[in-house]
Amino acid sequence: MRMYDAIDLNLLRELTVSQYKLKDQSSFFGFLWSFLNPLLMLGVLFVFFRMRLGAEIEHYPVYLLLGLLLYTHFANTTSLGMRVLRATRELTTETVFPKEFLVLSAVLSSAVDLVISTVICLAIAFASGIAPTLALLWVPAILVAELVLVAWVSFFLAAIFPFAWDIDHIFHVLLRALFFVTPIFYDPSFVGQGLAQTILRLNPLAQVIAMLRAVVLGGEGLALSTFALFVIPGLVLLGLGFALFKRLEPRFAEYV
Amino acid sequence: MSERVLRLRIHGLGKDFPLRDGRDTAARALRRLVTARDGGPGCIRALVDVSFEVHAGEMVGVVGNNGAGKTTLLKLIAGIHRPSRGEIERRGDLSLLSGLGVGMVPDLTVRENVYLYGAICRLHRARIRGIFDEIIAWAELADFVSAPLRTLSTGMTARLAFSIARHNEAPILLLDEAMTAGDERFRRRCEEHFVACRGRDMAMLMTSHSLELVERFCERTLWLRSGEQMAFGETAAVLSAYRRWAS
Repeated sequence: MRMYDAIDLNLLRELTVSQYKLKDQSSFFGFLWSFLNPLLMLGVLFVFFRMRLGAEIEHYPVYLLLGLLLYTHFANTTSLGMRVLRATRELTTETVFPKEFLVLSAVLSSAVDLVISTVICLAIAFASGIAPTLALLWVPAILVAELVLVAWVSFFLAAIFPFAWDIDHIFHVLLRALFFVTPIFYDPSFVGQGLAQTILRLNPLAQVIAMLRAVVLGGEGLALSTFALFVIPGLVLLGLGFALFKRLEPRFAEYV
Repeated sequence: MSERVLRLRIHGLGKDFPLRDGRDTAARALRRLVTARDGGPGCIRALVDVSFEVHAGEMVGVVGNNGAGKTTLLKLIAGIHRPSRGEIERRGDLSLLSGLGVGMVPDLTVRENVYLYGAICRLHRARIRGIFDEIIAWAELADFVSAPLRTLSTGMTARLAFSIARHNEAPILLLDEAMTAGDERFRRRCEEHFVACRGRDMAMLMTSHSLELVERFCERTLWLRSGEQMAFGETAAVLSAYRRWAS
């Protein structure tokens, strides 16, 4: 595999910018609309669960918001990344450039939303009485961890999708299940110590949400080892997903 | 011919596409992973044992009926498809013009598309900024810079795309029916550009259904029929054989 040059990185940038604009989010109202989705879910979950599941959780609305923020980003971006080769079929089949740029541009264009949404979430957190602490310096690192997670899942899905279109349906069932096996609207202790707790521990999205809540709501800085234990396996999986994608790349044009 | 620099050597090239029935599903993909390979009874032979060369400063034509394998050949050389057999030796970067404007986005403006398509044609933003006015002037779209691309006609879009793509200076240029869109004036200006490219020692491979165009520009021509190489050599002789077969 050849190394990327300045021309390649310029292409990645242009693809990212165009994908972002196409999502109709370069305008204020366009972005507002994308933020309304988790906000609406927040309202529903808050009304239904605050009396029981949320009663023991301090700052429950912000707790919900942080969980929804990362889950929504994960679900939207991995779905976009999975379908990007087919959505940009002409680029996949008629042009000569590294096709991983299509996946990366999907991840990066969504990263802009993630950063803006996080800033809004933090503003809401402070307005609701949560004091800012130095632990917030971990937030950019946690967002990077989220992007690594989203990128490796996207690469695996994008690599497989052209050969197995029903992966789309399977993944959406899994995403729905993921919403419930991730502590978005309940505390991890709610599920007890059995199999469910083991699933929570193995769920990378649950880990990254827990890290964000710890620094925003708990004001606790992360132990470097905790962060490394999340990010290093993520980077390994990103490498594997990327390798699989590159191995299958010459066949994409035949199948998308 | 022998003193010219060799840019492209194709030897024994073949491509099989697996036969597929209906949509690809996870179960089928798994089964294919375990059992299927290119070739064999479950495949379509799109290209069989094709061999030729293209030198610097030469334009080689590729003719053949629909489904002959012309586009497949170009995509194999460009690296979009993986060959099933044979070798492709490329000496230098290449640029593929396969359908003008592929990658342009109708909902973006002309200006935004210049930067996007320029990047797809391997032009850096800084370079495009420097030649932006010239791109727009060549395409004769000065009044449309801020208009969404979807408001342009097909011919105008092709003109814009070609105006950008002609700045790519890769030493190997693959053209897949690149001049089918646009009016007579556009075609003439494209042809002027290709003459200039030949003067700059670019190696060009052009598929076309226009035998008149191939006759005028290409020193040598490759004739494909149902994926098989029927002839490769001096254009007049190859086209004469092709015309006899076609009639």
